[in-house]
This record gives sequence, structure tokens and C-alpha cells, in this order.
Amino acid sequence: MEAKAQQSQPRTEKQAGGFKYVVSFGLMLVLTGLAFAAVVMNIVPQQWIIPMILGLATVQVFMQLFSFMHLHLKKEATIVSFMFSGIFFGLVCAVGVAFLS
Amino acid sequence: MSTARVEHTNAATGLSPHPERATMEGRNKIIGFWLFLGAETVMFACFFGVYLALRNSSLDGPTTQELYHIPMVAVSTLILLFSSLTSVLGVVGMQQHNYKKTMFWFGVTVLLGASFLALEIYEFFVYVGEGHTFTSSAFGSAFYTLLGTHGAHVLFGVCWITGLLFQARKRGLTQEMAPKFFVASLYWHFIDVVWVFIFTVVYLMGKVG
Repeated sequence: MEAKAQQSQPRTEKQAGGFKYVVSFGLMLVLTGLAFAAVVMNIVPQQWIIPMILGLATVQVFMQLFSFMHLHLKKEATIVSFMFSGIFFGLVCAVGVAFLS
Repeated sequence: MSTARVEHTNAATGLSPHPERATMEGRNKIIGFWLFLGAETVMFACFFGVYLALRNSSLDGPTTQELYHIPMVAVSTLILLFSSLTSVLGVVGMQQHNYKKTMFWFGVTVLLGASFLALEIYEFFVYVGEGHTFTSSAFGSAFYTLLGTHGAHVLFGVCWITGLLFQARKRGLTQEMAPKFFVASLYWHFIDVVWVFIFTVVYLMGKVG
């Protein structure tokens, strides 16, 4: 029984399909690089550095969710609400446990 | 499983642009997996919370500022970030019904994931040598629980995608295989998301103090 997949698809959309993800990836590299540079090169004042890197991480996570993971805010509102309630409970747990003592 | 088929594709015509959502089974898998990811988010958040609470409880072992090898972590981060990109490109290939492209990019993802794991194991080797173990302090326990669970997730993802690649070689890129690749790619992005927080909260904040 043959189950071989089609390999004859013309490659017209090859670049169009993948390019926006490469752009997103480039932005994520920039965000990551900024975070590492800010810490390693001591260019940001002490009080600002932790909120800054946490902010950069949050932006990157949203990019991952909505770009890489194909999450659509309007079409997949149910899924978005699952994830955000998970994130909300997660944040509460993380902050709560962190300050438990 | 074909009782869940909504559409039937023909090799010559009717190739859907989102094969992972072409069947009811595929759509259910995707929704179910997002639910699972919500739960995993809470689990990892708890590990983060514990780590944040205990990161300064290093007894007389090495502290976060002394311990972490930031260049190695930067390389690990690049590897995992890149593997996230390659898994998306694999999904794009799958949506274009391009078997070779799908197999190639997911194959690269597996290799990058394996190299991340190798680097992380080496890093732990170094830390254990410096006296930072699971039982050396509360900080050690919290550290290895968080990072170890994440690493176990990466290992599982590597095995899962490898299994999918073997399966796709035998069965081809069917409507049954498409949601599997999509969901595996969601999992892979999730562990990259967790790593983004790990390198920020554990390593970078550890360096800052």
C-alpha cells in the first residue's frame, strides 16, 4: 500500500510562506541580544535592569505566541483565554511563592 | 481514526492550505494541546516562583553571580531560538504539502534540540564540579528542578519529533500526520518560551543579583 506524499508542489510560495517568520526571528534575536547586552555590559542603571529584561522577555513571548505559534486573537479567542488564564494563574503562583518567606 | 474525517483530499486536487485543521480530529488536537500548554504554564510558573524564593539560599556553595557561565548560556539560547524558527519553517513546509521541506526543517530542529541538550548537560557537569548540586543547597534544588524539568521537556520533544519523522517517512504527509507536526511544533515553541524566561530570570537576573 503506497503512502508516499506528494512532492510535486511547485515552489512558488516557498519564500512568501516562510519570510515573515524569519523577520519575527530576527526581532527576537534583537530582543535577546539587548537583554544580554544590558546585563553583561552594565549600560543600564541598576534599578531599571530587572524590569527591563523582564519586559523584553514578555515582548518576545508574545511574539512567539502570536507569530510562531499561529495564535489568532480574534479567531481563536477561546484558546487565547486558556493561555492567558494559565499565564495569569502562573504569574500569581510565581510571585506568591517567590515572596512566601 | 478516519471516522473523524471531514474532508477527503485527493493527491491531485483539493489540497487544503491548513491541513492540520482540515479534519475535526486535527482541530480537536490543536485545542486540546493549547489547554495542555495552559496547564504547563502554571506548572513552570510554580517552579519559577520556588526558584525566585530560594535563589539566594546557597548555604556555603557558589552564588548565582559566581556560578553562571553567561557565554555558554548565550549559545544555548541562540540554538534554541534558532530551532524554534526551524520548527515554524517545518510547519510552513507542511502547509505547502512539501514533504521534503517538512522533513528537512523538522530534522534540523531535532539536531538543534539535541545540541542544546548536550550543551546543557556539559554546563551541569561543570556546575556539579564547582559544588553546585541538587542537594548542596535550597538554591541547588530549586535550580536543578526548574532547569532539569525544562531539559526533560526538550528531551521529550526531541524524541517526539524524531518519532514523527520516522512515521512520516512511512506514511507520507497525510491529513493525519499534519496535526501531529503542528502540535509538536507548538510544544517546541512552548519550551523555547520557557527558556526565554529561564535565561532572563535565572541567568541574567542571577548575574545582576
